[in-house]
Parts: sequence; C-alpha cells; structure tokens
Amino acid sequence: MLKRFLWLRGAEIFAWLLLAVVPLWVSNAYALGLLTLLAIYGILLIGLDVSVGYLGQVNLGHAAFLGLGAYAAGLCVTLLGWGMAGALAMSVLVGLLFGGLLALPALRLAGPQFALATLSFSALTTTVLNEWEALTGGAQGLSLARPPLFGANLTAHGFYWLCLVLLGLVWWVMRNLLASQWGRAFEALRDSPIACDAMGVGTYCHKVAGFAFGSALGGLAGGLYAFNFQYLQPQSFTYELMVILLLGVVLGGRKSLWGAFFGACLIVLLPNLLSNRLLFEMIAAAGLLIAVIAGARAYRHKTQQIFQSLAPIFAMGLLVIGGLLVENTENWRKAIFALMLFSVVVGLPDGVMGFVAKFLVRSLGIVPARIEPAARLDAVLSQPVSDAKPLLELKNLRRYFGGVKAVDDISLTVRTGQVHGLIGPNGSGKSTLVNVVSGLYAPTGGEMLLQGVALPMGSLLKVSHAGVARTFQNLQLFGELSAIDNVMVALKDVYRTPLGLLLLGLAAADERVAQAEAMAFLALVGLQDEARSLAKDLTYGAQRRLEIARALARKPALLILDEPAAGLAKPDVQTLIVLIRTIQARGITIVLIEHHMDVVSELCDVVTVLDGGKIIAEGSPEYVKRDSKVIKAYLGVVQEEFAEPLSGKELPAC
Amino acid sequence: MNTQIIAQMVVSGALMGLVYALIAYGFQLTYATSKSINFGQGELVMLSAFFSLTLLNFGAPYWLMIIGGLLFGAALGLVVERAAVRLALQQKSEGWILLSIILGLLGFSAAENIWGRDDRPFPTPISADALHVFGINITPLEISVAIGVFAVMGLVELFKRKTLLGKAFEAVSADRDAAELMGISATRTIMLSYGLSGMVAAMAGILIAPITTVGPTMASALILKAFAVAVVAGLDSGFGVVLIGIFLGALESLTSFYVGSGWREAPGLILLILALALRPNGVFGKAAIVKV
Amino acid sequence: MKKMLLASLLLGAFAQTALAADVVKIALTGPFSGGSAPMGTSMRDGAKLAISEINLAGGIKVGSKKMKIEIIERDDEGKNERGALIAQELASMDDLSGVIGTVNTGIALSGDKHLQEKGITKIITPAAGSASMTQWSKAGVKDLSIFRFAAHDGIQSAMVVEHAINQKFNKVAILHDATNYGVSGRDDLLTQIKKQGNKIEVVATEKFNIGDKDMTAQLLRAKAGGAQAILIWGIGPELAAVSNGMAKNAMKIPLVGGWTLSMSNYIDNAGKNGDGALMPQTFIEEAITPRTKSFIEGYHKAYNVTRIPSPVSAAQGYDAVYIFAAAVEQAQSGNTGKIKLALEDLKKPVQGVITTWQHPFSKWDPANVETHEAFRRSDTVMGMISDGHVVFANQADRARLIKNATK
Repeated sequence: MLKRFLWLRGAEIFAWLLLAVVPLWVSNAYALGLLTLLAIYGILLIGLDVSVGYLGQVNLGHAAFLGLGAYAAGLCVTLLGWGMAGALAMSVLVGLLFGGLLALPALRLAGPQFALATLSFSALTTTVLNEWEALTGGAQGLSLARPPLFGANLTAHGFYWLCLVLLGLVWWVMRNLLASQWGRAFEALRDSPIACDAMGVGTYCHKVAGFAFGSALGGLAGGLYAFNFQYLQPQSFTYELMVILLLGVVLGGRKSLWGAFFGACLIVLLPNLLSNRLLFEMIAAAGLLIAVIAGARAYRHKTQQIFQSLAPIFAMGLLVIGGLLVENTENWRKAIFALMLFSVVVGLPDGVMGFVAKFLVRSLGIVPARIEPAARLDAVLSQPVSDAKPLLELKNLRRYFGGVKAVDDISLTVRTGQVHGLIGPNGSGKSTLVNVVSGLYAPTGGEMLLQGVALPMGSLLKVSHAGVARTFQNLQLFGELSAIDNVMVALKDVYRTPLGLLLLGLAAADERVAQAEAMAFLALVGLQDEARSLAKDLTYGAQRRLEIARALARKPALLILDEPAAGLAKPDVQTLIVLIRTIQARGITIVLIEHHMDVVSELCDVVTVLDGGKIIAEGSPEYVKRDSKVIKAYLGVVQEEFAEPLSGKELPAC
Repeated sequence: MNTQIIAQMVVSGALMGLVYALIAYGFQLTYATSKSINFGQGELVMLSAFFSLTLLNFGAPYWLMIIGGLLFGAALGLVVERAAVRLALQQKSEGWILLSIILGLLGFSAAENIWGRDDRPFPTPISADALHVFGINITPLEISVAIGVFAVMGLVELFKRKTLLGKAFEAVSADRDAAELMGISATRTIMLSYGLSGMVAAMAGILIAPITTVGPTMASALILKAFAVAVVAGLDSGFGVVLIGIFLGALESLTSFYVGSGWREAPGLILLILALALRPNGVFGKAAIVKV
Repeated sequence: MKKMLLASLLLGAFAQTALAADVVKIALTGPFSGGSAPMGTSMRDGAKLAISEINLAGGIKVGSKKMKIEIIERDDEGKNERGALIAQELASMDDLSGVIGTVNTGIALSGDKHLQEKGITKIITPAAGSASMTQWSKAGVKDLSIFRFAAHDGIQSAMVVEHAINQKFNKVAILHDATNYGVSGRDDLLTQIKKQGNKIEVVATEKFNIGDKDMTAQLLRAKAGGAQAILIWGIGPELAAVSNGMAKNAMKIPLVGGWTLSMSNYIDNAGKNGDGALMPQTFIEEAITPRTKSFIEGYHKAYNVTRIPSPVSAAQGYDAVYIFAAAVEQAQSGNTGKIKLALEDLKKPVQGVITTWQHPFSKWDPANVETHEAFRRSDTVMGMISDGHVVFANQADRARLIKNATK
C-alpha cells in the first residue's frame, strides 16, 4: 500500500523536482527553450489524450485549438494590452468555447466521420486566421511581446517555471478527474456508448464536456506557445503539426499522463535524436530488440496474432537497416517516425509508457489500491414494496421499420413487484418492444407510462433517469474496465461533489461510498472476488451476472433482463434463477425476456407471448404453455406428438 | 461577359470536382465492404503518379504506363489493407484510421527521398491548348480527365455487376455476415476492394498529374476535398459523389471568384461539417438502424 | 530510464567542443527539407562551395596563422518553431562566429531576436521579405548584429512597378500566395505603386494557397478587370500553375514578379508557358565573366547538377561567405562582436560572383534600414525566362556587369 503510493507519487514528485531544478545548473538558453517547449507540449498532449485516449476518437483538430489559444492570447496582449494571467485565461476560454462548439455537432459522429469533421475544422481555422488580416495580421504573422505576469516581467527562467507549474496543475487536475466518475465514464463510453446511456451516464454530454476540456488545455498550451515564441503565423498550426501531436500521444501511450509527457519529450527532442547518428542507431537497435522480445513472448503465450509480432519486428528491422544505408537520417524523419509508430500501434497498443508501466508494476510487485468493504445491501437498495399496482403501462404501442410492423399495437401492464415474462419466437417483436421501452428506438405511436407518468421516448438516457434499467441480449459490458468499475459507472445517487471540488481532488469520500456500494452489488451476484478483473476477462456466465449487477446499481424501479440465460450452462442457469428471485424480493419489478421455458415457468408471475408484433396470449406460465396459438407460433403446424404443453426444454429459437 | 465568366468558373471548377469525385469513389469502394477508408489515400494517388512518371522516363509507352501505374496502385492498396486495416477490423477497433495515416506518412517520406521534393511536369500526348466552346476555354487535357473519371467508375461498376467476383463484392457490401454464410470470404473481398480502391487512386493520379504536376504534396489539397465529397454525398452513395463533386468544384470556383480567392477552401470544409451535423450519413446516404 | 535518456540528451545539447582557437565556426541555416528546400539547399551549397575554396587555400589569414572555417548545419524545415529553437541553440554557443542563412521571413521574425539578444552576427540570405529588417527599425534597436544579403522586396517591388510603368501599363492585377512572403510582397507592390505616382490602377488583388493548381478564378478576375499585366509574388509550383492557367485562358499579357520566378520548379513546370516571365535577379546563371564561370562550373561539378536549383540563392550564399570571411580577416578574430564591427565598415572590396562588393554595410541606423542591407537597386537586374533558362532581360545590364568585372 505504502509502496504503491511511494512509487506512484514518488515518480511524479521526482520528475517535477528534477524538471524544476534543471535550469539552475544549466543556464543554456537552448536547453531552457527545449524544456519550456516540453512543458507546453506536455499540456497540449494531455489535452489531446482526453479525446484520443479516453474518448477513443481520432481527433485531427487539436492543432487548431493550439492556434486559437495562441491567437487569443496574442490578441489580448497586442490589442487589449492585457497581462499574462488574463490572456492565458482568455486562451483557455477560447479553447473551451470552440471545443464545445465543434464537439456539439461532431461528437454525434464516430470513427472516420468524426476524424474528418475535426480535420475540416482545423483547416477552416487556418483559413480564417490567414484571411482575417485585419485582426490576425494574416500570413504576415502576429508579433507580440511577453506581457508581465501580475505586474512582474518574467525572465526566460521565470517563464519556464510558470509553464512547469501550469503543467503540474494540469497533471494534478487531470489525475483527479480521471480517478473520478468522469474518468470512468470517459472510458466506459468508448467501450459501449449504448450501455452508457442506458446506465444513466450521458454519452453525448460526457463526450462534449471531455472534448471541450481537452480543447481548453489545447488553448492554454496555445497561450503559453504565444508567449514563448512571441511570433505567430497561421500555417504553424496545420495538419502536419497535428499528425506529429497525434503520433506523440500514441507513441507515448494513450490514456496515460506519463504517456503524454513521454510523447512531448519525443516531439521536442526528435530533431536532436535524429541529428546524432550514433544515438539514432542505438535507439533503432533498442527498438528492434524490444520488438523481438515482445513479439517472441506474445507468440509463445499466444496472446496476439503472428502479424502483431512480426510486423513490428519487420518495421524496426527496416529502421535499423535503413539507418545504415541512408545518407542523411534527417531527410527521412517522417519515415522514421512512421516506422516507430507503426511498430508501437501494432505491437504495443498501450504505447511505450503503457508497456513500461505494466513492466514496472510487475517487476516491482506493486499491489493495486485497497477496495472498500461492501456496504450492507439494505443500506443501498430501498425496502421492498410489492403492492402489485401498475408500474409500466403500454398503450397501443407501435414501432414500424418502413413497412415492417415490428411492434404492432401492443398494450400491456407490468405490475409492481412482479416478474413479467415476455416470450415469443424470433422476430416476434420482443427485442424491439424492449428497445422502444428502454428508449433506444422512438415509438411510431402509442403511449408509455411509468408509475402513471409518461415515460420519455427515444432516449436511453432519459428512460434510465426515469428509473428503468436494462441488460442486453448481446452483452454490452465496458470490457476495458474492471468489474467494480463497471458497476461504479452505473451507480446512482452517490456522486455529489461538484466538478470544481472534484478537480481539486476533494471527491475521495464519494469514491469510498461508491466502492462500498458497488461491492455490495458485486457480492449480490457473487462476483466480489472478481472485482478487479477486467470485464472482458470474466467467464461468460460472470459477464451476464455483472451486467445484472451493473443494472441494479441504477437502483431501478423496473429492471429489464434481455435473455439473461442465453448461452448459459445448467448450473449457471440455476444461480441466475436464485439471483432473480433475490432481486424480486428486494421489491424490484422485472421484465424478463427469455427462451428457457423452465426459467420462465419458475420465475414469472405473468407471461406475455408475442408473435408478429402482436400479443397472442397473456397469463400465468402454465396457462400460456397450453395455449394453442402459442404452440402454433413456436412450432408452426400443431402435430400430434407436440400437442402437449411445452415444458422442461428450451424453446426452439433459431 | 458576366455569364460567360460564371460559365467558365463552373466548368473549370466542375472538372476539378470530378477528380475529387473519383478519389471519393475510391473511399466508397472500401467503405462498402469494410466500413473503413484509407486516410493515406492521397499518398496512394501521389506515389502512383510518381511511379507512372518513372515508367515514362524509362521509355515505356503511354498505354503500358497506365497499366503499370494501375497495378502499382492496386499493389499499394493491398499493402494498406494488410498492414493497416485487417488487424484493426479483426479487433473491431478504429486503429485503421491511425495506421493508415501512419502508412501515408511513410509513403510521403519515401516519395520525398526517392523522387525528390520538387514538383515535376508529367508529359502527356494530349494537348493542353485551349479550345473555345461557346466562349468557354477548355483544354483537351481537361476533357480527357472527365472521360477518364467516368470510364474508370463505369468499368468498376460494370465489374461489380457482371462478374462473379464483383457479385461477391456486392454481397459482402450488402450483408457481410450473410455473405460469409454463403461461403464468400469477407477478408478476400475486402482485399479486393482495397486493390480496386488503390487502382482508382492511381488512375486519379495519372489523370490529374499532367494538370497539377507531380510532387509529394500534389494530393494533399485534393484529398481533403475528396473526403468532403465522400462524406457530404454519403460514404455509401454510389454515383452521388459525382453530383456532389461537380457541385463542390463549381462552388469552390465561384467562391474564390466572388468572395475572395483565399476563401476557396472554405465552402468544402463548411459543407463537410454541416453535412456531418445535419445528415451524418450524407445527402445520398442511407441511415443505419442501431441494433443491440 | 527515460529520465536518464532525457538528461543525457539535454547534456548532449549543451556539450560544446572545446574552443579551438584556429577555427571559425559558421552556422548555415535554412529549409533543407520541405517546400522552400530548393532555395535553402542552393544557398547552403553555394556557401559550402565558398567555404571549401577558402579552406582549400588554407583558411582565413588572421595574424600569422590561417583559420579554417567549420560549418554547423541546421535544417529549420521552413517552420517557425524549429527556426526559433535553432536560433536559441545557436545563441547559446559561445564560440560561434556567425550565422548565414534563412529563406523564410517568418523564421527571421521568430528566431533572430535570440541572436540579436546575444549579439551574434547573422547575415540573412536569401530571405527577401521586408519585415525581417524593418522589425528592428520599428523596435528602434540601437545596435544590431543582423545583416541582410539579398535584394529585399522593397527593391524588387520597385523594379517590378518601374517596369510596369515603363511599359505604359495602366491596369494591372496583383496575384500573390497566402504565405508571409506573398502577402508582404503584395503590400510592397501596393506601396511602390503609390510611391511611384499612382500611375497604375490595380484592378484585382488575388490570393492563392500553397498547393493550388487551378488559378482560373484569380485569372478571370484579372481578365474581367482588363489587366494589362500580372504582377506576382509566390513560389515555383504555384507560379507555374498561374502561367499554365494564363495559357489556357488565352491571356497573353506579361507576367512580372519576384525573384522566385527564376526557381527551377517554376521553369520546369511552366514549360513554354513560362517564356517571357520577368523578375529581378541578383545573379544569372550565365558564365559572362571568368569568376561567374568558375562559380557555375564549380557548383555543377561539386553537386553533380546541370542547373542550379536556385542560382540566386546559391550565388548569394557564396558571396555572403566571402564577405563574412573578409570581415573575419579585417577583425583579425573569430569573435562575433568584432566581426560585426568589421562588417559595418569593410575596408577592402570583396570580389564576389554577383559583383565586387564595396563597403556593402555601414553602421546601423534604425532610421535607415539600408545601413544593414547590402543590395542596392544597381546590384539587381531584370531577368527573363527564355527557353527554360533565365537570361538577361536587358542586354545593357549584361554589358554593364561584364564591364564592371573587367574594370
């Protein structure tokens, strides 16, 4: 415990102290210039890592925020005569504002479309900075003098320390943010935006906020950039810089402050690395060695495909051989960068620092932080109410896809405290119905009431806030998060610290409560010993149960379980039945979609049978099983040997 | 005078727009099969043009140069698929965006060092002397670009519809899982689409090179607009790219004439952001239904 | 481990070789990669040619011994940030005698302040943008260690406008690229037109971006305004696109512009459409004197080319080294401050390939930028593209230069 703290914080404090005192024993302006740039790029890359690492989006617009921040600061000084503090505040504000403006439309997109939107924004920014000559001086650039900070003129050393302090501040704030619910949400929405919305974490607003925050850091870096170079030109902030920044983050390691810092070191020092031939050869050889070792190990443990092992070796080999043949390595700078990156992206997806961190954790035997003991379930979930009043009422609900009437005029009532089964052959409209109720699809028509109040339509998030939680037929876990984090993301009524205090690291109490509650839910589903395992590493049955625990963390009035037993082995099915009973006993109403007839028979108070988007039968499990329409729907023509109640075995579902 | 100028602007803009459309068409080919595009496509255009120029300098006849250039482009497309796309698709990640940018960077640097940083003229047997049609100046070279663009797109479409391989391509585009169940290898089909896409890029390079000259940066401005055209039209819009390409090309010309030549790039960029905000699947694209 | 690497790199950056008393260290900086590389590399190679000649002859005579020149090469990639960092690096070397180079005006603006702060002598060549020197007069600097050895845009634009007036054009269009170079060229042209009596009406002022190939819109604006000539400020590839666009649109009007119209990438890409383009030149790659002959042949041989990518840059780089060497000899020291004083008052004429330099610089006067500018109107001639080569536009200039050289 202490060891962990010492290593983690110790490394940081050591790095800061070192960076702070270096200028004292070297008074070389060039070295100081490099260090200043290192601090500035550090801030910039930490900002970029928010979108590229945590949000998992390829952001090609960060250079534009650097430029906007730089020009904002520059213009504050030249036009308005502001001091440094005011100008820097303005550059942060400009980054935040434009980041938000871009994110609002762009973050509804994903993948290539998002990358292209940011790329366009970046190009547009350069064009405007270049064309608005009256304001920015256009291509001729903007010269400015470094303004005083609170009345004091900063020397080169002073300015460096200012940059360093700001980097430290950003680092600290970022660490607090990432250790909080926000950080978990960022990571969760990368794995499954749909589940995020369904768990009450607004994917969109978190994305926009995260992107705007990252852009604000870009703006801050821009302000410092302006005061460092004291001369700005629009073409400094183009695609070429962007690629280098992106590569810095990826090479250093995404989702890591140290990674961003390492990336900044690399960007700043790269020209020096390449100009020294011997150093370059050494780095290339070291790279090849790492690629061979990592590749061989991965091959032996079969953790990756052969391609992932061979491609980096090939690329680094090319680098070593090329280094021997090529006359001037500086001319090949981009190719060298590309080869190194290719190896890292393919072979070390966590980047250099991710790799180093894992290695250090293993070799130093650093244990993870302690988890709070589980809270009492009674304290977490409210007391049972089973008055059998209508909880969910659907009236004439319809959902059409073009001409297909997937849900066709369905009216049904789910009563409080009951387990309400929903069955029907494939394509009967169960999933669509659940998707409409949970807000994934907007209904074509009809009404939905929860406890007599209209249920929001077409928004997973709003439905979730209204008190409905669900699981998914095809698991939608946050695979890269641990089991406990999966639950903590969804927890309701725990996170109360306002963002401002949270950034200052004052949300530890919330975190402790959250951990305890999450452990209670994990214990309920029998996963308390797997709290630290990544969701993707759990067994299939455990994953199913984890989804239920996560949904329970919403403390819902209505829980929708979408085929929770699908694909489970017999003993797991039994565990599940016990679990669902326990949940019901807690007063949570459940809608259960299921193919296992024995599960349905054993658990459900009421069963509704759908076929072709319509209700064909409703009643107790026993009653429904005997209904001829139901049997016909499942088996087509009623034949002699099947003309008996369906029981015991799984209903055929292709 | 004024209408004549507008006509001239529209025509010359539209001709550039056709080239954007051709490159955008290359994006569509790979997007159809794999929902991925090559962010280094511009480098493919440029490298193929350089390679073709080298063939010409070695004394290859014009027709051989075209075949050689196309094969080279296809080979590069396959390299991109193997090195940047396949693994990421298997992992269902978006790593291909980054990896294809990285490969592009490698190609760019290689071109800079192998062929030099300077722009070079690209010889062509087709005359660049202007003809005057209804008071509009147009060169046979430009007409050849237009013909070439339509010919390539037509041939690829014909291939997709008339050959067995092409039908496999269509099948994977329509429903990958179903096609795999029918015994069509999705991986092979994606390879095919990248090969075709590389070929289309090479053709774009060969067509445009006599007008733009050949240099490492020859495609960097083109590619941004090709992205815009592909996205505004929709990445699965088929011939929609031609209309949007022509529209964007003409709009650019008119913007630089009426608003100011520095703002030339702006309409494409604004259109792209607007299109993404308002119709994320493009003007001619189809909306997809989310499934869980 | 990373920390150690960082530390050793930083140390590596500080480590300077021990001051060797018999060596003069000169840094050559410029874009040796990227878009303006032809100018940067030609400048560097021209300068290196001169340095190897000097070193071959034993070095610069200082006192009883001869000092050899040692070169420090830095590629600024045409990027301001790199330029600024390089300037900081150079400024922190305490045994550096001087700096020669810079192609992009933006880099002079972002980097030179670090050199000036430390009083390190720099000769800017071939960057021609006015701002790189006027920034000092505007700031009212009393003592300046930055000199320029290039026909600055003030001279060039004056010549271009003068030419237009002499040809009795009264309507012209100005085309320029969207870079610092192009925009300040536009401003210089507009200033000169006013200065020379406002005899010319500018019917269109049009911009194009680096990488633009379709200039139809800009040219049609010029055509619609009835321009009789196009005055242009840009670099090679885009200039060629303008020439080709003019041919396509059947605009048979003269193209007159900055010295960059002599760049090889303009000449090659414009082909026959480039014939007749006019531009001010400080040097024309034609062996009109024995000295130019030996320079051109020396360059071709040393770098294995048949044509210098940018003859002006090469010649200026070459002459700048000789002028710098003359200053070292006069100062009898490799000390950068003493060299600066010597440069401000060079006693002996310096035989260059462009001309014979008589007292090229004088003591800095913030009110008069010309004190640190070597080139005058008379050192510059009009060049013209003819059949893929730059030739003298006026035979009188050619004759004058030959006469000067044989004097």
